[in-house]
Amino acid sequence: MLECKIISDQAYREMEEVLGKENISREPALLDSYAWQPAINLNTEAWIPRPAAVVLPKTSEEVQHIVRTCNKHGIKFKAHSTGWAAWGGPGEEGVVQIDLRRMNRIIEIDEKNMFAVIEPYVCCSQLQAEAMKHGLNCHIIGAGPNTSQLASVTSAWGYGWTGLYTGFGGRNPLGVEWVLPDGELLHIGTPGSGAGWFCGDGPGPSLRGIMRGWGGTTGGLGVFTKCAVKLYSWPDGPREPRFTGVLSDIIPEFELPKTHKVFFIFSPSYDAFTNVAYAIGDSEIGYIHCKGSVGALFGLLAPRAMRILLDTQGLRSIMKTFQFMTLFAIAAQSEGEAQYQEKVIKDIVGENDSIMIDTSHLPFHANFWWGLHRSIYPAMAFRPGGAFITSMGSSEMYACCVKQAKIGERIKEKYIANGTFIDDMADCTWGGIYEGTSNWGHLEEIAMFDRRQPQTEKNRIEFLFATTHATIKETLGFGLSSMEHKMYKWLGPMMNDYHLWQSKVKQAFDPNNASDGSHYIPPFDELQKDMEDYVPPVMEDVFEGFSEK
Amino acid sequence: MIMANSLLENRTDMTDALSEIVYRCQLCGACQVSCQAYRDDIDLSDVLLEMRSHCVEGGYVQAEHLDIIESMKREDNTMNMLKSDRGNWAEGLDIPDINKQKVDVLFHAGCRYSYDEDLRDTLRFSISLLLQNGIKVGIAGRDESCCGGRAYEIGYQGEMKNYSEDMASRVKASGAKILVTPCSDCYYTFKYLYPKNGRKLGVEVLHITEYIDSLIKEGAIRPGKKVPMRVTYHDPCHLGRRGEIYKEWHGDDKLMRPVKYKQSGKYGIFDPPRDILKSIPGVDLVEMERIREYSWCCGSGGGVYEYDPDFARWTANDRLAEAMATGAEALVTACPWCERLFKDAAAESNSDIQIYDVCDLLAQSLGVL
Repeated sequence: MLECKIISDQAYREMEEVLGKENISREPALLDSYAWQPAINLNTEAWIPRPAAVVLPKTSEEVQHIVRTCNKHGIKFKAHSTGWAAWGGPGEEGVVQIDLRRMNRIIEIDEKNMFAVIEPYVCCSQLQAEAMKHGLNCHIIGAGPNTSQLASVTSAWGYGWTGLYTGFGGRNPLGVEWVLPDGELLHIGTPGSGAGWFCGDGPGPSLRGIMRGWGGTTGGLGVFTKCAVKLYSWPDGPREPRFTGVLSDIIPEFELPKTHKVFFIFSPSYDAFTNVAYAIGDSEIGYIHCKGSVGALFGLLAPRAMRILLDTQGLRSIMKTFQFMTLFAIAAQSEGEAQYQEKVIKDIVGENDSIMIDTSHLPFHANFWWGLHRSIYPAMAFRPGGAFITSMGSSEMYACCVKQAKIGERIKEKYIANGTFIDDMADCTWGGIYEGTSNWGHLEEIAMFDRRQPQTEKNRIEFLFATTHATIKETLGFGLSSMEHKMYKWLGPMMNDYHLWQSKVKQAFDPNNASDGSHYIPPFDELQKDMEDYVPPVMEDVFEGFSEK
Repeated sequence: MIMANSLLENRTDMTDALSEIVYRCQLCGACQVSCQAYRDDIDLSDVLLEMRSHCVEGGYVQAEHLDIIESMKREDNTMNMLKSDRGNWAEGLDIPDINKQKVDVLFHAGCRYSYDEDLRDTLRFSISLLLQNGIKVGIAGRDESCCGGRAYEIGYQGEMKNYSEDMASRVKASGAKILVTPCSDCYYTFKYLYPKNGRKLGVEVLHITEYIDSLIKEGAIRPGKKVPMRVTYHDPCHLGRRGEIYKEWHGDDKLMRPVKYKQSGKYGIFDPPRDILKSIPGVDLVEMERIREYSWCCGSGGGVYEYDPDFARWTANDRLAEAMATGAEALVTACPWCERLFKDAAAESNSDIQIYDVCDLLAQSLGVL
């Protein structure tokens, strides 16, 4: 049996008194149920450190009590909501896991002002279902509809299929209720001045940059207990869409609106693909823009068939021909507007030597339409090999994103060849343009693997180093590769030594270092010490020969 | 699932607290439906069954479950009733006895239906309907015994072997080509647990709703009398998402297992009970929010009815609230375990909602009840 730290009897009792005995545990097997986190780990272990206890608060006051008790006893805490991936759990032993699943209410939907006030365990599909009843929609990150809406907007980086229309994680929080690392309750934005929840920047304290910045603190700077999130128009969409079946096999029980369409656009090159994206952004049309991927299409929907298909060189070449694919959807308020948008996209496609397929009349249309709007496909990346990682993917102007895709593809080819990753023709690049404009977007390089293969453990970390090295060498921006914080020494200078400022924020807001910052940053003094002896890796240029500058 | 993995990797040991968690699972299969959407290589329900078995092997047994096992050993039923009373439900119906004559259809009543007198009319109507339609159906009467599925589900996997052998010889001796049961738990045992454990019965297994639905669609049964009632249908877990036939697959790498071998839940028995209800004049079927493979459990599954009745009732009350939210006057189901728990929960909470089996409403329409 694995021996791990558990919290002291005294601290346990103090929490139990407030939470009740049903809502706290230090049973080893139960604690282990929080420790199996095989995605987005900082190392090659599928198990993260076992929590020292798990607590299930019901109210913000209970969260405050837990946090204060931890501060009092010198214990670290880490909160998660739906708990997707390793960053929801402890990064070291001795940490109390705060499981927010009992805080699961949609408190308010303000239809007129287009926002909802939610608790942490409200998942994206839950909010979307309720928002749609009001003719509204929410952003759902790629991790899927089962993830926490609050966590994705307050604490993490995230982008979903409808990001062209609904932004991305960090763009969507409004007023926020925040239990600071020392237990103080802070309302930021309008709730801070008692003016409702409609704005994240005041009147009232505006600390959005400290609260989450670009990438979020992934639970490393206190606990978010309520927040308001932006809702968006759901133009002419069904108010209560009902389906039979599960995920990719769903059948709708309603007629799809004529104002909603999904198109596959195939371009002859990355240049043409990029130009299509820019033109879509410039034209301010569409509800969904995302890079399509033949590798992902087969890999996620028919993983076994893909392995067979790719064994045939001829088929492989044909499939590769279609890799410069755009998924584009319109959702218009009226048939006239839909016709206008369709005419514009046809012109864009024609001007860029591309071809377009309108899926409206194809058998899978309704199924696919919902899969995109519900954001169900990215999480299916577990199917081919049981695990996946992501890399590259900084939010930049779209031409830079495409450059990342090209380099990421080149690097991944090597790791497919050596058996680390499942063969997807190195074509599993995902992302699109943000917020109705091509000024920026992202394209991340997803790699799927089978954890049971011995070579994957070492090699996938090497892949993350290689992609990070590429982002530094080619000045591509801060990517999505999961890295230990000491590597900020390597990455930080590219980003104006942001890590030093971030660690000073951590130190100021968390004087007892009680909020587990393993997936965020340690306090300044600790970071300096960790980085002292760290020598950045010397990387081979696996993308050598990549000529584009 | 993760706790099982933890045990498997010797990170933790079985404890009383862990076994209590394991035994509070209703084995409803909802987690399998959700999780398998994203994974093809794991069978959560099988893992949960193995966890039960691991508990029993380690001596982590529950007194309430021991009662069931002792009752099975002593009286061949799960309900602490006399074996000699098992066939009492059929008194006066003149049903062929398979011990005396060959039949085309063997009707297996199951433990709950055999002994629960509140549900007896449903059972008597169901088999009478088959007899009236000229079907050569027979029963084993007092010689019928438990299918053994409950023992398997509460961790005593080995106990099912004797019952499955017994069942197989009864089926063979009866000469039946079809085995019909009105019990969802027995249905699941015959369709999934038996073949998974290498026991082939060699007959077509049908739930009573499947059989009656086919007779209605053939025109043999014609519901005529109006039953003016707004109803909602509750999918029993073991008939619905867990009612899929066992799909045997041989291979080394489960990642490569074709999807058709996966117990996805979507091929369970969902439509026949609904189609029967739709065939009854006057019945207005309204659906709840969580239906078919997404259905909410009644609360009685996996031995929780016996082990933790409070939790079972809490689960049932949650479902009753969902049913009442549809505006239905009645919740209709197709499993005696669901029906029993719903009736008890509704009575305790003074709920106005009526609880029926699908066959009860059909009986009303045919002027029998």
